[in-house]
Parts: sequence; C-alpha cells; structure tokens
Amino acid sequence: MKLKRKVALTAVALVAAGLLTSCTGGDAQQQESISSFPDKWDEEITIDVFDGLANYMGIQEGWFADIVKKKFNMKLNIIAPNVAGGGDTLYNTRVSAGDLGDMIITEKGEKLDELVQGGLVMDSAPFYPAMSNVEEFDTAVEHLNDGKDGVFAFPTSVSSLKPTQPSEGLDPTFGPYVRWDLYKALGYPELNTLEDLVPVLKDMQDLEPTAPNGGKVYALSLFKDWDGNMMVTAKQPTTFYGYDELGFVLAKADGSDYQGILDDDGEYMRTLKFYHEANKLGLVDPESTTQNYDTMWSKVQNGQVLFSWWPWLGQAAYNTDVNTAAGKGFELAPVKDINIFSYGAEAYGGKPVIAIGSKAEDPERIAAFIDWLYSAEGTYANNSQTMGAAGPQGMTWELDDAGQPVLTELGKQAFISGEAQVPAELGGGTYTDGASALNVTAVLPVDIDEETGLPFSYKAWPSYQELVKTPLSEDWSAKMGGAATTMEYLETNDQLLVAPGASYAAPADPSEIETLRNQVKAIVIQYSWQMAFAASDDEFESLKAQLQEQAAGLGYDKVLEFDMENAESQNKQREAVAADAG
Amino acid sequence: MTLTIGNTTAVQSVVIKDSPTSRRRRGRRQRQQAGGRRSMGMFLCILPFLVLVFLFSYFPLYGWIYSLFDYRPALGLAGSEFVGLQWFELLVSSPTQVAQIGQVLLNTLAISFLGIATSILPLFFAIFLNEVRAPWFRNAVQTLTTLPNFISWVLVYMIAFSLFSSSGLVNNVLNDAGLITQPLKFLDSDQNVWLTMTLWSVWKGLGWGAIIYLAAIAGIDQSLYESAKIDGAGRFQLMRYITIPQLMPTYLVLLLLSVANMLNNGMEQYFVFQNAFNKETIQVLDLYVYNIGITGNSLSMATAIGMLKSIISVALLLTVNWIAKRVRGQSIV
Repeated sequence: MKLKRKVALTAVALVAAGLLTSCTGGDAQQQESISSFPDKWDEEITIDVFDGLANYMGIQEGWFADIVKKKFNMKLNIIAPNVAGGGDTLYNTRVSAGDLGDMIITEKGEKLDELVQGGLVMDSAPFYPAMSNVEEFDTAVEHLNDGKDGVFAFPTSVSSLKPTQPSEGLDPTFGPYVRWDLYKALGYPELNTLEDLVPVLKDMQDLEPTAPNGGKVYALSLFKDWDGNMMVTAKQPTTFYGYDELGFVLAKADGSDYQGILDDDGEYMRTLKFYHEANKLGLVDPESTTQNYDTMWSKVQNGQVLFSWWPWLGQAAYNTDVNTAAGKGFELAPVKDINIFSYGAEAYGGKPVIAIGSKAEDPERIAAFIDWLYSAEGTYANNSQTMGAAGPQGMTWELDDAGQPVLTELGKQAFISGEAQVPAELGGGTYTDGASALNVTAVLPVDIDEETGLPFSYKAWPSYQELVKTPLSEDWSAKMGGAATTMEYLETNDQLLVAPGASYAAPADPSEIETLRNQVKAIVIQYSWQMAFAASDDEFESLKAQLQEQAAGLGYDKVLEFDMENAESQNKQREAVAADAG
Repeated sequence: MTLTIGNTTAVQSVVIKDSPTSRRRRGRRQRQQAGGRRSMGMFLCILPFLVLVFLFSYFPLYGWIYSLFDYRPALGLAGSEFVGLQWFELLVSSPTQVAQIGQVLLNTLAISFLGIATSILPLFFAIFLNEVRAPWFRNAVQTLTTLPNFISWVLVYMIAFSLFSSSGLVNNVLNDAGLITQPLKFLDSDQNVWLTMTLWSVWKGLGWGAIIYLAAIAGIDQSLYESAKIDGAGRFQLMRYITIPQLMPTYLVLLLLSVANMLNNGMEQYFVFQNAFNKETIQVLDLYVYNIGITGNSLSMATAIGMLKSIISVALLLTVNWIAKRVRGQSIV
C-alpha cells in the first residue's frame, strides 16, 4: 500500500514536472568541414521547408519534385505561413517549439537575427567550402553573415548586375496598366498625370459596362488581404512617382524626398483622394471592401477590371493568346509625369534568405540542395514560377543549331498558351502545378547564363520576342514610339527611377515602437478604406482629420521619427553602393 | 429534472444521511478506517477534476508573466527582455489609447447586454413550441432551429455574405426590382452592428437555448394544468399562470450564469464579421486581444490586456454575487 502510494506520488510528480517544463534540445552535433558533396544519396528523406514566401503547402509535386528526387533523393514538404494564414502564428508556434524546419526561408534583419540568437538555424560553415555555386556570390554571403560567428544564411536575388541597374527585366514591378483595347477605342486620350486617368477610366467603363461572363465591369477593383503598414492598393500608385514604403515613410528612390503617409499633401493621401474621386463616379468595385486577392484576380481574368497596378496582375491574368490575338489586353498607359520606382539589382542580395534549421535531419544534403539552387541548372528550374526563368533545359527549351536558346513545343504551350502537360517520365502533371513552390529567387533570372550568353529569363530571348508579337503588342509599340518592351519605353523616356540595390534591412523595431506601430497601422488601414469609399468630400476630409488625430494619439509621430531615421540610413547605403559600383 | 442548485444539495444530503447508520455497526477503530478509506475513495473520484481545474484554470495564470517581458518566441521567455510594467503603462499612456479600450469595453458590454436581453426569447419559443399539437411539425421546427447551433461561424459568415454582400442575393433582388441603384451596405457599414450581431446570435442559438426549457416544461406537474383547466383556464392563461412561473427558476439561474460570462462573448463571430468599416463598433474584448496579440504580433501587450479582462470579470462576478445575495438571500459563490 505504502509502496504503491509512493509510486503513484512519484508518477504524479514526474507528470507534473513534464508538463511544467518545456523541453529544450541539445546543441547540434559538431560537423566536420567538407570540401565536396557526395554524388548520390542512398536513403530517401523528406525535409520540412519552412517557407515564408510559399503560396503552396504540402509535398512538392510534379517536374520540380522529380528533379529534386533524382538529384538528391529527397522530397520537399513545404510549410507555408501564407497559406496557413493568421499572421505570424505558425512561425511563432514552430519557433516556440524549437524547430522551425529542416530548411528555412525567412527574412534577414530582425527575424534572422532572432533565429540565430535563439539557436534555431545551423552554422553552415562546415559545408560552405563545398558550395561552389554559392561561392560565386561570396561578397553577398559575407555581407549577410557579417557580425555573426559563422555562415548562418544565404542571400537571395543575387546577380552579377550593377546595383544601379533595374533588377526587373522587361517589365517594371509597378506601373499604371490599363485595358489597351478600350483606351485605343477612345482614341488614346492624353494623360498628363494620375488624376487624368479618372475620366478616361470612366469612359472606358461606359464603353464596356458588362464583361463577357455577364458580370459588371469596374475600372478599379481593390482587395484587402495584403494590407500591412497601410492600405496596400493605396500605396501602389505612389510607386508610379518613385516612392516606396519603409514603415510609415514613403521614401523616394533617389533620396530626394521623404513623406509621412499621413502628410496632408503627401502621395498616400493623394492616392486615397484618387480612389475617392473614382468611387464617386461609380468606378470602384463595391465588393472591394470584402474580397481578397484571389477573387480580384479572377475578375481581372474575366475582363471585369480595367486597371492594374502591376504587369504581373493585368497582363498575367488577362493577356492570354486569345485575348491578345483579338487586340485585347493590359498595357502600360502613357501617363506623362510618372517616374516609376524600380528596384536596382541588390548588391548583397534581397530580403529573403535561405538557412538550414538547427535540427535538420541531413544538413549536408540540404546544403547541397541549396548550393544547386544557385547553379545555372537550379536557376532555370527553381525560378520558373516566380520570375520567368525558362525551366529545365531539354524540357521547355533547347539550344538551336546556331547555339541560341529556343522554346520547345512544351515550352511554347507552357509560357504562351498558358498550360502544358509534362510527360510522366519527367514528373507528369501540368507545367504550372509542377513548378517549384519554394517561390524564392536564388539568382535573378535577368542574370546572364554564361553558356548561352543570354539571361535565364526566356522573355529576353530574341527567339521568344519574335514568337509573341501580337496585334496588341504591335499596336502598343507603334503608339509608344516603337519601344519593344515596357522597360525600353520607360528608359528612353527617362521615366524610371532606380533605387540602387543596397540590400538594406531595417533594424528590428524596439518592442515599444513595434507595439505602437501595430496599433497605428490598424487605424490607418481602417480609415484608409473608409476614406476611399467616403460618400462626400466633406466626409473624406472629416475622416482624414479623424485618422490624423487618432494616429497621433496612438503614437504615430514616435514611429514616424524612427522610420525617418531608417529611411535616411537606407539612402546613405544606397548612395554608398551606387558610388562603389560606379 | 431542472438543473437547479437544489438538486445538488439533495444528492449531498443523501450521502450524509447514509453515513451515521453505517458507522453505528462498526467499532471506533473500524469506523475511522472505513471513514478514511471512503474519503480517500471520494478524493480519488474528484482528483481528475481537480487536476483539470488546475491545468486549465490555474496553470494558465502562469502565462501572466509574459506581460512583464518583451516576449519573442524565437528567444524564449528566458532570452526575452524583462520590461516590468511597460505594457501596462502603454495601455494608459495616451487618451486615444484609453478611449480605444473604452470603446472596446463598451462594445463588449453592449453586445452582452443585448444578448442577455434576448435570452428570454428561447423561453417563449419553447413555450409556444410546446403548444404545437402535431408532433411531426414540432419535431421538424425543433430540429431546424437547433441545427444552426452546430454550424461554425465561418459558415454562418458565408451564408451572410452570399445573402447580404453588395453582390449578394438581397441586393440583387432589390436591384432587379428597381428599388435601389447602389447596393446597400449591410456587411460593410458600422450602422446597427450591435443589433445585427445579436440577431445572428439569436438565429444561431434560439433552438439550442430552447432545449433546456422544453425539458423543464416536460417536468412540470401535470396536475397543476388539470386543476387549472377544471377551474376554466384557457391556453394562454395556462401559460401565464403555470408554465412561465414554473420556468422562472431555470431562467434565473441561466441568467446569472450569462451575467458572469459577460466579458466572454468569444471572438469567432466578430472575427469573421469584422472589416474596416465596422471594426470600431464590432471589436469586443476577446477580438481586441486577438487582433493585438496574433494579428499585430504583440503577444506581451495582448497578455496585459487579457489580464484586464480577468480583473474586470472578477469585479463583475463579485457585483453579481452581491446582488444575488441581496435579492435571493443566497450567494452563488
């Protein structure tokens, strides 16, 4: 009896102790430095990839999975906070448990520093000597790991371009894109500034009030799920004038101007006014307030929207074979006073970074995989989803007799018609579904492949440009002074403002600033939407005053001051890197 | 039959009555042992529940410590900076902040009061439903009204969205009938949010809430009705003078419980219905904590506000307890 009780008590105590203390893992095993990777791996493994950029969750399928399996005998299980939703919840949960994933794609700066400090990422220094592809970008790697005791992460979006050159390729990231066919039907009305778009869009909407699917057409359709420091669709037009956000600051690419987003005569307020004016004329989709990006995307696809802030929305969704052959599609509107913000090639890599988790099952194999992402083969294969690299050689493209890269039949189907079936021996499924779901760009597709002498991106190949001449692009080109691409037009007209790629990462918010920021941004987003949909000018002004007052009460000025300092140091780095590159 | 506190006391008294008789048969020593063994057995019976109460009600209080740190999950509590009362100071640091919390409390209390005010509806629903003669119709109505309770709020929002969004059924019908030219903003406006939220809860909870009253009605002594009928009472008189008074104790207990739960109006419903246009009036305390802690990623600040909720809850409970003591002469805790 007594013994039993003792046993029971001990058991209870043990259970309680187990509940009350959370386990902490031991240190990772000391690795020996290696100088080359093995050629093959015998045992198949599945690694967890925590990927802050991925829009797909689950095991990677299709042709990309096939390549990874053949080369590394490995499967990728992608864990995507974007898909899981709920802000940083998934990140926080996994981080508290002490294991984020075998391979980690996260952001440099605050997040990476925390992970290093918390012992959640592995020092890859033992593998680095073997990573010959990454080593080509050694300056960027050194810069990223500067001040850290080891090689904890690898930079992304690296290239051999100058930081003063645009990183974007043939199309800018931002730009006012309109339905060119309707704009043409109006006789190409003159557009001097952003506000001139409102009456033109009104005429375009009157010209085509109903889409082919029977749905009502609206010039503008907004969405809410990307709202961060501010209403995301209201920030976009500010980029047409060379501004980009840094916290609550809108900083001009050349460092000539900094604005707080709540400044009375600032660009952000101007954009809200722009939406407000458009809404008064019935140009803004009333569903904007409740819909998400996906819903809006399908409206663009169905021809129910006439304006796009990005080529990768309007053109990607609507400019299909059938539409462009009929002369219908999105093209850049010739607004005279725009000066579009362009991201210069990042000298030391972009914001996302790739790292190996401290509890990784087989770190050596993961290091080999990461290294492969930086090779020419890896760049062709991995970037095909995000930035238009050409896919695996022999599948979507090949070298012709003259040694020039050309698309294969499958490549033409995949990139021009929109969908292609991949043969079963290469992974099967459709081309799009099989593309790398990592959604991270290790090497920029605009970088040159030394073997072909042309960029990794098929869009820049002469053979491709010949292929995709359509009535739409020819009409646009004729109207735009014979420019072959949007980038060419903008560069000739001096309407592109390149922010030198200084790889700046803002320092972590002190906890108080972060909390204030979170409260202020909730108010900013809330009022921005209300202002865009205000019933009258008076209401607009009164909401604006309320927003400014409430934000000030919640500590906006304090956060702004902090952001201003960051914006200035960002600019100093940009100037320095531009001077370095000459 | 009813879930009143009276029943529990009755059960306890039975146990107490039993014990002296059994004791009398044994000697003093035996008695002590038997008593000890029995109370040990009884203790073991309640032990699992004590453990549960400890785990789910007291152990989480340890989490309050997070409000004193600048908690960063990657660094763990040990690696996070100790900031003392910084978050509490921030809560009262500016009038706007205080006003915001005031608005949140107002929303919480207003929606709770409306919920309490409508808590009488299931009672009347049960009474009228009970009067329905055809069993198939009564069962059908009961099933149909109980079902919404099992639908998640996300699905309820989908129903609401397809009916009331600017391109929803209602707006389309009104538009086609030529009654409106611009869609009416049912979901994205801050007008009558408290009321519409209450109506949704009533729709969802009416049938479910009626179950307990239907059970209580079944437990009413039939002779009361028979004698009233002999005295010539009509159907409405039966309801008024017999059914309602008989249901009142049940109703009052449930009312007390809901008052104690006043700050706990949950967040799911308000979370799915919230948008930029109604946020100011829909943000209840639970949702506010979620928005700050999870959406805004300020876990420590959210903990501080969550503590505020516990403090107000305790204050409310003591108040209700005091009122109950004055009114019924018997306190609930």
